[in-house]
Amino acid sequence: MAINLRRLLLSKEGSIFLVLISLHVLAALFVDRYTSPSNIKLLLRAIPSLGILSIGVTVLMISGEFDLSIGSTFALAPMVSALCYDVGLNIWLCVIIALIIGAAVGLSNGLITVKTGMPSFIVTIGAMMFWRGIVLVVADGRMVPFELEGFARFVFNDMIGWVSTQFIWFAVFTAILWIFLSKMRFGNWIFATGGNLKAAQAMGINTDLVKVTCFIIAGIMAAYAGIFDSARVDIVNPLQGEGIALTAIAAMVIGGTRLGGGVGTVLGTFFGASIMFTIQDILMLMRVSAYLFQSFVGVVIILAAIGNQIAARGARKIW
Amino acid sequence: MVETNEVPFIELKNVSKNFGRIEAIKNLSLKIYKGESLGLLGDNGAGKSTLIKILSGLHQQDSGQILINGEEVKLNSYADSTRHGIETIYQDSAVVELMNVYRNIFLGREITKRFGFLDVKEMDKLSREVLDSIGIQGITSTRRLVETLSGGQKQSVAIARAVYFQSKVLLLDEPTSALSVKETRFVHDFIIRLKNEGISSVYVSHTIANVHDVVDRFVILRHGENVGEYNRDEISVNELSDIICEH
Repeated sequence: MAINLRRLLLSKEGSIFLVLISLHVLAALFVDRYTSPSNIKLLLRAIPSLGILSIGVTVLMISGEFDLSIGSTFALAPMVSALCYDVGLNIWLCVIIALIIGAAVGLSNGLITVKTGMPSFIVTIGAMMFWRGIVLVVADGRMVPFELEGFARFVFNDMIGWVSTQFIWFAVFTAILWIFLSKMRFGNWIFATGGNLKAAQAMGINTDLVKVTCFIIAGIMAAYAGIFDSARVDIVNPLQGEGIALTAIAAMVIGGTRLGGGVGTVLGTFFGASIMFTIQDILMLMRVSAYLFQSFVGVVIILAAIGNQIAARGARKIW
Repeated sequence: MVETNEVPFIELKNVSKNFGRIEAIKNLSLKIYKGESLGLLGDNGAGKSTLIKILSGLHQQDSGQILINGEEVKLNSYADSTRHGIETIYQDSAVVELMNVYRNIFLGREITKRFGFLDVKEMDKLSREVLDSIGIQGITSTRRLVETLSGGQKQSVAIARAVYFQSKVLLLDEPTSALSVKETRFVHDFIIRLKNEGISSVYVSHTIANVHDVVDRFVILRHGENVGEYNRDEISVNELSDIICEH
């Protein structure tokens, strides 16, 4: 039992969860109004859009690739959705259109990456700029209202008690992707592809198919996250999501995902995204300048990376 | 030369493979019999690796035939090749270092329950049994990451694949070049043990002395051609070396 507890804490999710809990406990003890209902509601509303985006791109990073264009998808998908909604299309159809756009951007990124053999970093920098330009063109540079009503509002932007429906989505997506990655055959192939591409190919795994699928998952999750973020503020901004790809990397690294691929968990990213917003929230409540937030996150990323290394070494010694 | 009426387990007939203008394999014919250990020798660029890749389904020949038990087969993928009982063991073991032992053994051929869910318990248990049957020491848990294993233990993970999936032919591509002397002996003993159980092997190496202890017969490749076959008793290490180096 003692060993199991140790294993749990030295596992990627275990150690990061411990950090998250410690943060909450410390904040609850020392920060005024941290435990107030309004603050907790605020936290649970703020986390999901970055979170959903980040767990999608975690799957992709485990396969050994990265997508910088998710920030543009994060704007493009809800933008097209809002424009369709504006002309009177059914909201569910609009959401489906957004998801198809996300999947299509992911598919094109994936195909270009695996067919040319170029680093996905380069391919998706190009895609990031290209799709951002397209968003600005289709929106004519303006913000477009996205005010959901009725059941759609409940699904995408409502509260059940203290918990936002968006947070429930986030938890459900995390659970689904966690099962997909760690319990299913295809998930095993994703780890193998990112861990050792040549070995995966030698064992007959279609690594191109694996990577393209992961790009599509990242695209769909970016589209979903964009819808949530827009629904939350009732408007789509053509510039939303600029720089969010790097914030997603931060959430992943804090959550223990390896930049080179082959190691990572969506549960870790779930906690990683939560930690980033918790820190932001604490700084706000302590009236620390908002300008300093980035610096804090920078320090946390480096500390997390060091912590992950130590945890990985520790985990190896257990067996 | 081996002269026998036995149908070879694998037979290559006039196989050729070009990469652009480079003729990697030229009109090559070769027979591998059941329970035979064949040494494939040749200098760098002689076509050894290409031949192994054709047999393991990663490359396809441009012309010529491959016969297994006398029937022509197409090896269009790794899956095709393993289905015919051909298993490849590479120099770097083709293992994923950041994955645990049992996931590596079953990589690409995972045991699943319904809907593609992994049967983790079963894979874990079978891996343990297979590793025990090989007699490898020191793999205390099949949940250990492969990166924590020694070179020989890594190679035993690759060997475990061959044993579990009941291969009929092992293709060994420089399997011991990263191993210590003791670990090399372990792999060699294992090849001999498999031979006694009727499993063939094709051993690629350019360390002739290494191969000489293990194999029954040598095939020499030069510029993609089969330039000679010798039984082990007929030829010394030095003579072999001379033949490989001729132009």
